[in-house]
Amino acid sequence: MSASTTAPMTMTDPPAGSRMERFVWNCRYHPKRELWFAWWVMVIFYNFYGVLFFFVTHVQPPPSPAWDTPTVVQWFDDNGSGVIAGFAIVFVIAGLCAPMNALLAYSMRRMSVSPVFAYSYLIIYSLAAVPGMLVMAMAMTVAALRPDRDPEIIRWLYDFAFLSFSGTMGVFMIGSLVWMVAILIDKNRVFPKWFGYFSLCNALTEVVVAPAWIFQRGAFAWNGAIAWWINMVVFVSYTAVFIVLLRRMIEREDFGTGPLPDLEAAR
Amino acid sequence: MTDLAGASPRPEQLSDEHAKFVPGQPDMWMFVLFETLLFTGYFSVYLVSRTQDREAFLGAQADLDLRVGVFNTIALLLSSWAIAGCVQAARNGDYPSALKKAFLTATFGVVFLVSKIVEWVREIRMGNTFTSDEFFSHYYFLTSIHCIHLLIGFVVLGVVIYQLRSPARRSQQLVETGATYWHTVDFLWVLIFALLYVVR
Repeated sequence: MSASTTAPMTMTDPPAGSRMERFVWNCRYHPKRELWFAWWVMVIFYNFYGVLFFFVTHVQPPPSPAWDTPTVVQWFDDNGSGVIAGFAIVFVIAGLCAPMNALLAYSMRRMSVSPVFAYSYLIIYSLAAVPGMLVMAMAMTVAALRPDRDPEIIRWLYDFAFLSFSGTMGVFMIGSLVWMVAILIDKNRVFPKWFGYFSLCNALTEVVVAPAWIFQRGAFAWNGAIAWWINMVVFVSYTAVFIVLLRRMIEREDFGTGPLPDLEAAR
Repeated sequence: MTDLAGASPRPEQLSDEHAKFVPGQPDMWMFVLFETLLFTGYFSVYLVSRTQDREAFLGAQADLDLRVGVFNTIALLLSSWAIAGCVQAARNGDYPSALKKAFLTATFGVVFLVSKIVEWVREIRMGNTFTSDEFFSHYYFLTSIHCIHLLIGFVVLGVVIYQLRSPARRSQQLVETGATYWHTVDFLWVLIFALLYVVR
């Protein structure tokens, strides 16, 4: 175990007062305010992401890659306004990825591992947001913007959008592996080891998306039972777990450099 | 946690510890659970697709040689036996023997990998590729995702061997965690073997 080189921080409690006064005090003086801000951004972002991708734009669960051109054009006729409105909000909130990824990188900087892990993770996730979210959103918006466009071009944009979405999975796989190795060799107990193994599980499901390049129907297509449904279940559970674990990390954070205290001790 | 190499406990302690004993990091057992759930998902998809078009699946399956599957299974079961011997030897403090058994595990793993590649090449020569039919899509998918687990297993064995080599390290917990991972690879293969080769 590496010894703590700085004295653990002592927490000052907010003064007694109304809920609003305590909130304002926390915003101004709470030593963990940046961490909590990033954490809440993460919660808000994923909620937006879920609602916008699943219920507004209807791009998730993904429609079939096997559709012929008239069906694709029909899909845009039915969902065009949802696509435009939903992705308009996505463009506004896309930047929220920054504090979110910063918090994930922070978790690695708090570990007893080389900063290389945090920097790699930060770069990978910042880059993955561009093709995985923005390029997809742009292609879908372009296709939905002019319904009278040449149907073949609409279909081209449809393929381009979904393949750019699926195409980021390899990048996420490496990201998960970076996080996994950092957790497994960390001595500061920032995350439990089982979460490291869960990251491996998540990374392995990202590999499974690769056949979406080859198949247009069945379990391995981009909307298939294996390439999409099982992956989504794993990804949603993984995300829910790391949001809870990051919350615990912030609660346990003592701004030292040694092992993080247990939750009870930190409270 | 599982301080096995420590002093010998009194008999009443022993029975108490036996009740709670988990080999290796309990965290690795969570991984076993995640992987089991995940593969249950993959197997369910395979079985459902199979019920949709039984004849085509049976026809394609006839091209698989059961003997190769049996050989694969024996190779991996032997590797599991070797890693169990490695754990036992390490518990007894016989590290040279533990090291030998860890290398033996890797050897059986390589035998499995080579026989799998030979089988893939044979199937591809017969015209059974990843895209040729649904059965073979599942076959290549399940066998290759399993092989990725096997390749990670070699990294895990590397960690085990690294631990065993120096008296300064020798974490019994890590050795047992690695062994648990290796057994999982074997366990998943037995299920894949049963589904792809045996159930017809």
